[in-house]
Amino acid sequence: MADSPVTITTPGSDDAASAGPSPQEQKQMEQAYAQMKRKMSMEEIGRNIKHKIMVLSGKGGVGKSTVSTGLALSLAQQGYAVGILDIDITGPNVPKMMGLDGRRLHVENKRIHPAQGHLGVKVISMAFLLEDEDTPVVWRGPIKLGAIQQFIGDVEWGELDYLVIDFPPGTSDEPLTVAQSLPDIDGMVIVTTPQQVALLDSRKSITFSESLKVPVIGVVENMSGFTVSGTASPGSEFSVAAPGGKTITTSADGEGNFSFTLDIFKEGGGKSTAEEFGVPFLGALPFDPGFVRGGDDGVHRIVSEPDGPSAVAFSKVVAAILDQLSDGSDGGLEII
Amino acid sequence: MTETLPTLNKLERRKQDMELTYDDGTTYTVAYDDLRHACPCAKCSPMRNDDDASRTLRRQIEALPAEKPHIRTVGKYALGFEWQQGCSSGIYRFERIHDLALRRDPDRGRPYVHGAW
Ligand SMILES: Nc1ncnc2c1ncn2[C@@H]1O[C@H](COP(=O)(O)OP(=O)(O)OP(=O)(O)O)[C@@H](O)[C@H]1O
Ligand SMILES: [Mg+2]
Repeated sequence: MADSPVTITTPGSDDAASAGPSPQEQKQMEQAYAQMKRKMSMEEIGRNIKHKIMVLSGKGGVGKSTVSTGLALSLAQQGYAVGILDIDITGPNVPKMMGLDGRRLHVENKRIHPAQGHLGVKVISMAFLLEDEDTPVVWRGPIKLGAIQQFIGDVEWGELDYLVIDFPPGTSDEPLTVAQSLPDIDGMVIVTTPQQVALLDSRKSITFSESLKVPVIGVVENMSGFTVSGTASPGSEFSVAAPGGKTITTSADGEGNFSFTLDIFKEGGGKSTAEEFGVPFLGALPFDPGFVRGGDDGVHRIVSEPDGPSAVAFSKVVAAILDQLSDGSDGGLEII
Repeated sequence: MTETLPTLNKLERRKQDMELTYDDGTTYTVAYDDLRHACPCAKCSPMRNDDDASRTLRRQIEALPAEKPHIRTVGKYALGFEWQQGCSSGIYRFERIHDLALRRDPDRGRPYVHGAW
């Protein structure tokens, strides 16, 4: 961000040449001032946004962005004012999923204004800074973290009920920077797939959360099962060879409709990880090829099929999250 | 963890320790020093990986003035303890607190690995 939306004029800086600060001092003052202003605006943002939710995973490609956008849209479907902040610098794909491909940063009165995607969800993405899609921004450490702070501090979100924050995969400082910049983060949603490697990594995320002082809202298992449905002659029975050497037997109902679910990966891993760590399990999202299509054509699954099985699964996860956020306060525990 | 965790019903903060009452009728005390030594945060945890550092951590905690913590619940699964002095960062899952009540190693012998993701 060479062209910072924050500028400063120092009163009296152009009179008497002798007493004024040196250019270097002036620069330092400007930086300190910008820093302070940003901090104040972050605090204001903290107040104007009721709930802030981080979406993380230990492993890449497990569906963080799909889940972030899905949660945002599902919340918006329920009438909440929602924003989504895409912190991924190397591969930001939230705009694409929200039908905002090719948007550029919109700065007005030195404030960054979010773009509005499906269902009025406000979107800010690192992608808005890219010259062209295929050239990722290569920012190193401090510059990257400074850009994130600026992104948090200088965005005009307005009043929001929920802000969902999507993170890049892998080991990084981003969650730490965000956690330190944005006050009162409600917690993190950890996305996992039911594979052993992903599960192992999500365990690390849970441990990480404890050290960040940001609570785990819960674990979501993505790409959980693939449901096949179709028609056959009414009442007919058949068996299917499922993954892992299992056989599923099912039958068509009186009208000839059948459906069964294949566990593509291992069954129930997200739930057992959550249980092992004593953190809430928020639910499972099915494997739905519609998510992939939605990612490509810019129409999110929840928008293309608002009452479909995936949208329903998302609304259940949202309900579980809201349940966690609503009364964390007592749980029947009396503290004297 | 296959064993079921009893629900913590009551936590009474006393001068040096807290008394915990669970819904299965059991009652335990956990000394604040033990609680603080078991802090799961990223600064305190690595110190317990090593015996010497662990003792240093212990001494640092014992040198702090005695105080009652402010306690907040974290979601439905954990507690946070806020101290005037010393570390307040750790989020203690109820399971961890129960381990401390039973005088079990809450790290379960596993060394801490920082930011390993
Ligand atoms: N439930 C699902 N069913 C089918 N495909 C899915 C599902 N969830 C995600 N995908 C697909 O998997 C791919 C990766 O998903 P996504 O980009 O959301 O993951 P990510 O964790 O954000 O990745 P990264 O770590 O690169 O940021 C995408 O092509 C997406 O469409
Ligand atoms: Mg992503």
